[in-house]
Amino acid sequence: MERGKLVVERVEGRSTLTRCFSKYPFKFIVPNKAGSSKADAVWIYTITYGGGVVSGDSMACDVTVGDGATAVLTTQSSTKASIGKGALLVVIPDPVTCFSTAKYSQIQNFKVVPESSLLLVDWITSGRHERGEKWAFSHYKSTNHILLQGNETLFLDTTSLEHGRHGGISERLQDYQVIAMIVLLGPKLKLIQSQIQEDVKKLMSQQLRLPSVSAGCSSESGSSYRLPKPSFLASCSTFGPKGAGVVIRVASMTTESVYNFLQDQLASLEALLGAAPYL
Amino acid sequence: MEFVGEANDNKDKSSSSGSLRLWSQWQLLDSILPTGGFAHSFGLEAAMQARLVISPEDLRTYVIHVLENTGSLLLPFVYAAAMSPDTQTWHKLDRLLNAMLTNEVGRKASIAQGSALMRVAASVFSEIPSLKMMRSEALSSGAVSFHHAPIFGLVCGLLGFEAETTQKAYMFVTMRDVISAATRLNLVGPLGAAVLQHQVAPIAEDLSTKWMNRAVEEACQTCPLLDTVQGCHSYLFSRLFCS
Repeated sequence: MERGKLVVERVEGRSTLTRCFSKYPFKFIVPNKAGSSKADAVWIYTITYGGGVVSGDSMACDVTVGDGATAVLTTQSSTKASIGKGALLVVIPDPVTCFSTAKYSQIQNFKVVPESSLLLVDWITSGRHERGEKWAFSHYKSTNHILLQGNETLFLDTTSLEHGRHGGISERLQDYQVIAMIVLLGPKLKLIQSQIQEDVKKLMSQQLRLPSVSAGCSSESGSSYRLPKPSFLASCSTFGPKGAGVVIRVASMTTESVYNFLQDQLASLEALLGAAPYL
Repeated sequence: MEFVGEANDNKDKSSSSGSLRLWSQWQLLDSILPTGGFAHSFGLEAAMQARLVISPEDLRTYVIHVLENTGSLLLPFVYAAAMSPDTQTWHKLDRLLNAMLTNEVGRKASIAQGSALMRVAASVFSEIPSLKMMRSEALSSGAVSFHHAPIFGLVCGLLGFEAETTQKAYMFVTMRDVISAATRLNLVGPLGAAVLQHQVAPIAEDLSTKWMNRAVEEACQTCPLLDTVQGCHSYLFSRLFCS
């Protein structure tokens, strides 16, 4: 199966798409002006004929972001990306929504060097809520792998959601309908890294409360006042040498709140990309 | 006559080392072994403060989810280390797990527990001098994080435990520690905890069978909510546990 190919390089001082190859049923759309022309970034959209992915479809793509260039990918797929020195790759897809009985799997590999920057958003919703589909898909698996200098694994996460004998997916995720992971790595994202860590800490500190003294037997008493579960849960962790990277994990009861969170936190990227992600 | 005597001698030797192995097994799984497991709640404290776990029923579900995630993410590391309990394998597994434990709270807990276990095992199981050697080498090189799962597998492998027993034992100590944390968090009393542990045992057995003997390349996390909530531990204003 042939892989799509995208190469973004700095040509005469500007990020330029120098190679673009895709195979049916996928197509790359590269608008000339995704945002302000002052910003130096190439935005790449993927469309599928039919608007979705069906059984047997596979989408695989090789992306190269040359030294000093910036590329924005608005889709998820099985990607192999190579990010050069002083380069930035931004992967900001809409969430994956698996329909009932669907099976979905993707692997994203990113090869970076110490001065590469990467923003990766990987998220999934529970399905078509209005049809009553909540975590009704058969299997979802997403692997994100960041390799430093081609051989040292800096970050490797595989999230696998499928029904088990001891509880289905919805039991494991309770009332949360959206799961998201955001990875921020590299010098161009330093400011956002610190800001997001501060904001999440502030947000969550307000949500977490010591349980009442009779935590164990309050279900019988009935009179104890119980705060509801937070509708938005997030936590940050650093990874890599000297905390070069930050990964944020989110669980939310609504898709909208995650879009808002992403909008707010990534708004400052407008200067770098020409347009803010998730507007 | 001599031949039979020799055969009996060999039988005695192997059955005595087998019996001794049993005593080592019990000691390794006893919570009295000073490995500091009591300092970690596996995200339970944060889950309680986030109101995800309120009742004993919630606790039961939580324990099962922890076991599922332990099986999917950590058991492959225990298995690989137990099958090849040597320095090169240990270092490789330790590095890989460090990149896969993307939850900072869980990662630090793993390092704390692993370091303690290695220190204790090197002192206690003096009949395996390589443990002490591996430990001092790793400490001086500074290149090893001392993650718990590979060290558990390494120690069990060197002690001659079977791979299946080792993996089930890892699930056992995890279950033991979460439930112990639950009693200290007043979520359940000591007797209720013991009842719960026995009720969950068949599920732990099932999950062990499901996730055992897999390659580390297959390691994955299956409970992202758990991961998210455990990561909140450092935001708790008031806490009893380290993680």
